[in-house]
Amino acid sequence: MAASTTISEGPRRPHPLEICAALCAGALLTLMLLSNGMMAAHTTPIFASLTAHGVGSVVAALLLLVFWIRWPARRRGASGRAPIWAYLGGISGALTVIISTVVVNSSLALTGTMALGLAGQVVLALLFDCFGALGLERRLPRRNDLLALASIIVGTLLIIFARGNAG
Amino acid sequence: MIWMILLGICSGMLVTLSRQLNGRLALSTSAMQSSFWNHFVGFAVLVPCALIAGSLWPSEAATAHWFAWVGGAIGVIFVAGGSWLIPRLGAALTGGLLVAGQMLSSVALDLLRGVDAMLSLQLAGVVLILFGVYLSRRA
Repeated sequence: MAASTTISEGPRRPHPLEICAALCAGALLTLMLLSNGMMAAHTTPIFASLTAHGVGSVVAALLLLVFWIRWPARRRGASGRAPIWAYLGGISGALTVIISTVVVNSSLALTGTMALGLAGQVVLALLFDCFGALGLERRLPRRNDLLALASIIVGTLLIIFARGNAG
Repeated sequence: MIWMILLGICSGMLVTLSRQLNGRLALSTSAMQSSFWNHFVGFAVLVPCALIAGSLWPSEAATAHWFAWVGGAIGVIFVAGGSWLIPRLGAALTGGLLVAGQMLSSVALDLLRGVDAMLSLQLAGVVLILFGVYLSRRA
């Protein structure tokens, strides 16, 4: 991938392919939340998250199996071992579901939960970038990165509150 | 109330934490492997939670619509995508662009389904988000 050759040359402009991938992944998140929300309404939020993680494990395992059979030469080995804690992302993912279920059912409702979640997400991400936390590259956000983030956040809050008031 | 607000902020921070950890794992393995471990470890944590909360198989599960079952499969691609992006764009821009894609698509979905909750305000939000995406491209 051409994008990986320029990584350590300081701040660079995101490749259009990367922006497109991020927007498409965000759209997948909408579909995922729709599906999980349907299961949560039909059963319980915890069961919905449990099935999502179970189905996800099986699908990811099958995809990995297909990759390994089709392209055995690409099996990694020499690129260094990941520290044990890097395997624990799933714990905080699972906790997110439980915590946000509690908050949604409080007086904050869906609107407040989404707005606060957005705030927490962005603030911690900026801190992680500034310090190069947890083994990822340190990068100070450029002025345009901050302006882009601010614009996306304000736009998102407008949409969230428009929906909250109507509901 | 203050505890609920803190919990709400926490749930957002956990999303970022999870993406950062998965991104680190992907550096030593691959984006798809990080997605597998994310789902597998999450499943292992949720099994005891589900047992405490009630049962592993509520009776309504058998009658769920097929679409309710595919969220996990979509999530595999979503998590792998996040792990691929975060070393390239950084945590903040990755998070921002994912939120942008999520909001743009959910407004489009609302329009398709005929939900027009304060449409003008939502369209103003869409314009701001698109402007933000445009800005992220500029050096």
